[in-house]
Amino acid sequence: MRNVKAIFIKQAKDMIKNPMVLIQFIIYPVVALVMTELVVKSSEYIPANMFITMMAGIFVGMALVTSTAAVIAEDMERKSLRFLIMAGVKPHEYLAGIGGFLLCAGAVVSVVFGLIGNFTGMEFAKFLTVMIMTIAASIMLGATIGILAKNQQAATAISMPVAMIFGFAPMIASFNRTVEKVADILYTQQLNVIVNDFSANFAKAILVIVVNMTVLLIFFVIAYKKKGLKSG
Amino acid sequence: MIKLNNIVKHFGEQVVLSDVTFEVKEREIFGLLGPSGAGKTTIINILTHQLEADSGIHEIGATSFETGLMLDEDGLYVRLNCIENLNIFADIYGIPRKKTLETLKSVGLENAAKKSVGKLSRGMRQRLALARAILHEPKVLFLDEPSSGLDPETARGIHKLIFNLRDKGATVFLTTHNMEEAVKLCNCVALLHKGVIIEQGAPGEICERHNAVKTVPDLESVFIKLTGAELV
Repeated sequence: MRNVKAIFIKQAKDMIKNPMVLIQFIIYPVVALVMTELVVKSSEYIPANMFITMMAGIFVGMALVTSTAAVIAEDMERKSLRFLIMAGVKPHEYLAGIGGFLLCAGAVVSVVFGLIGNFTGMEFAKFLTVMIMTIAASIMLGATIGILAKNQQAATAISMPVAMIFGFAPMIASFNRTVEKVADILYTQQLNVIVNDFSANFAKAILVIVVNMTVLLIFFVIAYKKKGLKSG
Repeated sequence: MIKLNNIVKHFGEQVVLSDVTFEVKEREIFGLLGPSGAGKTTIINILTHQLEADSGIHEIGATSFETGLMLDEDGLYVRLNCIENLNIFADIYGIPRKKTLETLKSVGLENAAKKSVGKLSRGMRQRLALARAILHEPKVLFLDEPSSGLDPETARGIHKLIFNLRDKGATVFLTTHNMEEAVKLCNCVALLHKGVIIEQGAPGEICERHNAVKTVPDLESVFIKLTGAELV
C-alpha cells in the first residue's frame, strides 16, 4: 500500500505540473459550464443537459484514455518506471497508483459536471455511478494502449483515434440511427443515454458498461501478460 | 559481494557476453572497463535482474532493496523538482523525508532543491541521479558511466562521493571507458572487450604485468596493446 500511495502522490504532483494532461481535466467542465450558461439558459429548445452530456462523454471517452496512455508510455520511455521497479514497486502497484489517481481526479471532475448540471438526489447518484464506472473503463483502455505503445508519441498516435471513437460516437449517434445502434454497445453511449434521460433503463446501461469493463480488462490482461512493463 | 561465473548473453545471433567471470569483494570499488558496445551495461542489467543471462551463474550479497542504481538514462521526473523526485523514493523505501534534503546536500544540490529537473544541467542531473541511488544507503551501488560527459570539476565531485560511499561501507560497481578515472577510483578492474574479459586485477598490477607503468599506471596502453582497439 505504501508503494501505491507513493505513486499516487507522484502522479498528483506530476499532473499539476503537466499542462498537456491538466488542461484535459479542466477544459471539458469549463466548456460545459460556459455553453450551459450562455446557450442552454437562453434557449428553451435546447435540452438542459445537452452540453453536460456532450462534454462528460468526451471527457470520459477521450481525456481519460489519452491521459492514461500518455502517463504510462512516458514513464516507460523515460525509464522512470525502471527505477521504480528496481526500488521494489511491483507493476500492479504502479498501475494501481496511476489508475487510482486518475480515477480520483476523474471523480472530482464528475462532481463538477454534476454541480454544473444542478443534479440532485438520485440523479446525482446515478450520474456519479455511471461516470466513475465509465472512467474506470477508459483508464483500462488507456493503460492497455500505454503498455503496448513503443513510446509516448506512439501512445498518443494510437490513443487519439481510439478515444475519438469512444468520445464522439455518442454525439454522432444522436444524428444517425445506424450509428446509434452500433454505439449502443459502447460504455460512452450508455453514459450519454443516462445523462440525457435519468429515467432511462439504468440496469441496462450498467450491464453494458460492466460488459465493456470486462472486455477491456481482458484486453488489458492480455497486453500486460504479453508485454508487461518490461520496456521500462 | 558480487560473483559472476561463465555468463553468456546473446542478442539474436550476436554474442554480447562470452564466459564472463569475475568477483567483486565487499567494500571494494570495482571498475568494469571497455569501449562503448563492449557489454558493460548488459552486465549491469543482468546483475540488477533487468535482463536474464542465457547461461552462467551470478549472485549479489544484497537484496534489490539494498541495491542502488545509476544508469546513463537517469529516469528522473523532469517536471518535478529535485526534492520531489527524491521524496517519491523516500516514500517507497519508507525513510523519513528529512533524509532527502540531507542526501541532496551530500551531492551539493541543496540550493537546487526546488528547481525542476528539466531546468538542471547535465552534471546536476547526474548528481541528482546519484542522490536517488544512495538515498537508502545501499550495500551495493551500480554506477553506469557515472561521470560521462561531465566537466572535470563535477566529475571530481562525483569521485569524492564514490570514495565517501565506499568509506561508509558500500560496495561500488562502476562501468567506464575512462581509464584515468578507473585508475584513480578502483581497487580492482576488469577489462571487457567484445563481451570477453581480457584482463582483471588491481590497476597497478595490470599495468606492471604489461609494462605500462609510466609516472602513473597507464591502463589505456594495456587495453590498446591487448586489443588493438581504441577506447571510444
